[in-house]
Amino acid sequence: MEELILELKEEIIRVLNLEDLTPEDIDPNAPLFGAGGLGLDSIDVLELIVLLEKRYGIRLASAAEGKTIFTSVGSIAQFVSENRKK
Amino acid sequence: MSRIIADNIISPLGATTQANYQAVKASKSALCHYNGGKKGYIGMSDINVPFPFTASLFSDEQRKSFCIEGFTLFESLAITSVRKALEASQIPLDQRTCLVISSTKQNVGQPARDEKQGDGDKNTAQRIAQAVGVTTTPIIVCNACISGVSALILGNRLIEMQQYDYVIVCGIDLQSSFIISGFQSLKALSEDNCRPFDIDRTGLNLGEAAATVILGKGNQKDGWFITGSAIRNDAFHISNPSPKADGCLMTIEAATAEQDTRRLSVINAHGTATLYNDQMEARGISRAELADVPTNALKGYYGHTMGAAGILETIITMHGIDHQTIIGTKGYDELGVSGNINIVRNNTSTTKTDFLKIISGFGGCNAAIYLSKRPVPSSQGNADSGVTTHTVLITPQKVMLDNEETDIGQQTGKALLTYLYKTRIQDYPKFYKMDALARLGFVATELLLQKEQKAGNKEQKTKGERAVIFFNESSSVNADKAFLSTIADPENFYPSPSAFVYTLPNIVNGEIAIRNNYHGETAFYILPRKDDETMRMITQATLFDSFHSSIITGWLECKTEEDFHAEVKIVERLAKLF
Repeated sequence: MEELILELKEEIIRVLNLEDLTPEDIDPNAPLFGAGGLGLDSIDVLELIVLLEKRYGIRLASAAEGKTIFTSVGSIAQFVSENRKK
Repeated sequence: MSRIIADNIISPLGATTQANYQAVKASKSALCHYNGGKKGYIGMSDINVPFPFTASLFSDEQRKSFCIEGFTLFESLAITSVRKALEASQIPLDQRTCLVISSTKQNVGQPARDEKQGDGDKNTAQRIAQAVGVTTTPIIVCNACISGVSALILGNRLIEMQQYDYVIVCGIDLQSSFIISGFQSLKALSEDNCRPFDIDRTGLNLGEAAATVILGKGNQKDGWFITGSAIRNDAFHISNPSPKADGCLMTIEAATAEQDTRRLSVINAHGTATLYNDQMEARGISRAELADVPTNALKGYYGHTMGAAGILETIITMHGIDHQTIIGTKGYDELGVSGNINIVRNNTSTTKTDFLKIISGFGGCNAAIYLSKRPVPSSQGNADSGVTTHTVLITPQKVMLDNEETDIGQQTGKALLTYLYKTRIQDYPKFYKMDALARLGFVATELLLQKEQKAGNKEQKTKGERAVIFFNESSSVNADKAFLSTIADPENFYPSPSAFVYTLPNIVNGEIAIRNNYHGETAFYILPRKDDETMRMITQATLFDSFHSSIITGWLECKTEEDFHAEVKIVERLAKLF
């Protein structure tokens, strides 16, 4: 799981262009959206949906489904480990 | 106030306004379901997406019918539509006639005219102008979904300002894998026919069309007249509309300010059938206290025809009222938006003479125009001139602020913009998410505002009334390439939603409006070349809306991440003292 969390942090920084952050800056349990977290928004949710499909073969039907999965890096790691197809 | 002299619509429903109006009146829809696949679908070799979708597309036979040798399909369609409108109007094509083209993507994603020509050919507007016989500089309005109404507003102002006697306004977009996969990545498409304002709406359908209107002086008694108009920004989000409908409300209030809204037969809404858009428009109409006025949307007939939408839907609504008819909202059954707005389900008769067209788009922009069969001169026009207060020039090698060279260390190109952000701005991490064009516009504006603040010559209270108007010759070419790279390989087809959003150049205007809470007009124009006279004319046209106290404006060109040129300034309204 630790490995997957680090991989996810690196991927998130890359696909969301968070150039000024390093993986160490991201707390796996901190909220990704809204104040106090990384401040991600609705387009970022869609980009994370693309990431899940491209990298892990997981297809989400709607952005609404994504909202609960993308609470934190930890919650994404949990979901990916349970549903990954590649 | 200008008068509509002639019009034309070419869509999958027909090649004349008459054919289109009759089809829509008979409730025919151009929407078709296509089973996408890795090999594309039969008869449409140009669109190749691996998912099913519904859209309004020209048939191969229709495409052939308006294809002109030596021109792209986009150019051929525009030329055909403009020629048909010209035939009906017989206006002189001299120095007093201008061509304004409204389009979000022009040739991008379309097959090349010949092997030498690449995507997004910058001479396209000139080739269209030349083919139809227009001799003045053509202007492309590239303002996301509001482009069509935005172009009508520009045309109207150019006539009111007596800059031109006639303005030909042609809205046009064709579909492609580029656009369809982009909207799909934003989860904005409905797989089935769209259902504007309905409880079961799930998204939009895309469409293809060209629509042309010829505007002339309003010094006659009969016809249709543009009597009110406005463009405002939500300053909320680059792709989501303001939930409170702030910009939409501002445009409705400004466009109806001098009108007798009891004469309104209908509000023709954008009504894309996405959850957010329709809800936002309902909120705007309710907040403007126009919930009782019948509201309709035409996307169930044509889909979202992008650059053509604002013009096509204006023409159909106009012809409907000429026949005492409000066209029903195809696809609508049960109200699915808050507020008690009055959606027209089936064709209804009307004896009223006016209507309001509203529209909203990415980049947070909103527009409204008021059309009337009665010539009511508007007093909104304001001929104050502007004065430049601060200037900035940014090239890959140099930064000049108020004509003084600024120390930039050893930095050049893309790294220079990041360096300027890190050393002079710092507090806006969204910078890193922006594409190169948006970064350039953002940094240029920030440097200007710092100069302004230092000089202490801007009162906080008037900043909301600031417009942001940019020009270039290459549109969003760098972002287009970035997005294309995500869909180029059919085996690795993952269109990027964030890359797609930046393929609209006016997103940079939205970024600046959001950062600074500017609610004035935002617009992006594409010119054949950097042309100070045309830019001055359009800046003046923006000041013509008396709402605006000042404008951030200038040339904003970004060919690649390393090849850019920004020459931006703050123009303040020089209020008349006497």
